[in-house]
Amino acid sequence: MATNSNLPRRIIKETQRLLSEPAPGISASPSEENMRYFNVMILGPAQSPYEGGVFKLELFLPEEYPMAPPKVRFLTKIYHPNIDKLGRICLDILKDKWSPALQIRTVLLSIQALLSAPNPDDPLSENIAKHWKSNEVEAVETAKEWTRVYATGA
Amino acid sequence: MGNIGSTGANNRRRSGSRRSHPPPPPPQPPQPEIAANRYVFAAATPYPPQYPNPNAPSYYQYPGYYPGPPQAMPVPLPAPYDHHHRMDPAAAHAGWVNGRYPCGPMMPPPAPYVEHQKAVTIRNDVNLKKETLRIEPDEDNPGKFLVAFTFDATVAGSITIMFFAKEGEDCCLTPTKESLLPPVTVEFPQGLGQKFKQPSGTGIDFSMFEEAVLSKEGEIDVYPLAVKAEASLQNHNTPTEGSTTAEPGSSNSQITQAVFEKEKGEYHVRVVKQILWVNGMRYELQEIYGIGNSVESDFDGNDPGKECVICLSEPRDTTVLPCRHMCMCSGCAKVLRFQTNRCPICRQPVERLLEIKVSNGAEEES
Repeated sequence: MATNSNLPRRIIKETQRLLSEPAPGISASPSEENMRYFNVMILGPAQSPYEGGVFKLELFLPEEYPMAPPKVRFLTKIYHPNIDKLGRICLDILKDKWSPALQIRTVLLSIQALLSAPNPDDPLSENIAKHWKSNEVEAVETAKEWTRVYATGA
Repeated sequence: MGNIGSTGANNRRRSGSRRSHPPPPPPQPPQPEIAANRYVFAAATPYPPQYPNPNAPSYYQYPGYYPGPPQAMPVPLPAPYDHHHRMDPAAAHAGWVNGRYPCGPMMPPPAPYVEHQKAVTIRNDVNLKKETLRIEPDEDNPGKFLVAFTFDATVAGSITIMFFAKEGEDCCLTPTKESLLPPVTVEFPQGLGQKFKQPSGTGIDFSMFEEAVLSKEGEIDVYPLAVKAEASLQNHNTPTEGSTTAEPGSSNSQITQAVFEKEKGEYHVRVVKQILWVNGMRYELQEIYGIGNSVESDFDGNDPGKECVICLSEPRDTTVLPCRHMCMCSGCAKVLRFQTNRCPICRQPVERLLEIKVSNGAEEES
């Protein structure tokens, strides 16, 4: 089932559309060995601490997709209250708020939006969230620094 | 009720299929003993094959959850899940395994059973396009306003404008302020896209009424404005599902109930309800979200506005109830109900799934 020859039409269509009409600031291309595995790049949104950064992610479509959400993880280190040091993302649509009407594109757009709007009230990284809430200016500076160090020129 | 579920495929008919497919012998008495838990898909204007699709697709409407108020429809309310519609699971699966989404081995516990129904088409001979309903100043009678709108009629008939109309049994309308504003009836010929404007001098003078009286539904079932569009009886010989002839004296009609709302000093009309009276049954019309995208011309299989949101391949034909999001093909809908009971669009719990096959003249019974 997981072989490329038996890929559901939905995944083929999504892939084609992602490649032919990519969302601004987002690129996603499937791996040749496994068409359910995508290499993703998201540009840090303007006016966010991640501006200027290029963030790599991996996205995997499980067998149950689209009944189950894709698994997405940051590969580039990022200082964000809703992303932990393993790159796992705290985003409701990737968990209980998943709907099969969502797609790879909408998921990645949501993650891009999460970079613009960190939510320290629903943290995945306790320390970063605490930092964000106690001294946002400083936390944003750290996020910018991490962006410079880890997300540029990679 | 046997027309849905187990016998649905054979018994389902569409408005356009009468000519070439004579109705199969009804498997049950002509007047169904229960109509309350039957969804009827009212194509507000039928699509005779000779016409191009004349309507914006938003005219596809289907009646409300319950076909009528208790006084008009003394039938028991439906049980939440109709056991007698349960499909044979094998049959339910037969069509979709191929090429779509076979459930993976990691299937979550089954979601609560969701009824999957096929729509029954009933015919609406006259349709007032509700977004065209408006009032215009009567130039010959300053201060008065005339009701105007556009409508489609596949048969000749008459239109009655009634102010402060009370709806009684069997969709009969009674004017409650007849002395001030007598009802006006105007005949019309058959034709699509007809413009209607009530005769000069018969309009309403808003200064005679309190804003509160004009702007809301009054006491029980009184509407500031009701428009009844009736099909003339002699043209009506088309039996619909489950009912062979129109009851004597009750011609099929569509009633549009509206209120007058004041905005920036001017009154506007707002439609509150549309009711269909067909063969002695009352149906409330409701819009389906997303159906417009699915019925326009031919489906080329690659238009994000028309395809099933789950497989991105098949045209949408299944509406989630009660939220009325038409977003899936029937195959994916069958898979979905084993996985979740939430609507993919709005996440509201799914109570029923309604499959609506729209056919614009092309005849095929699948």
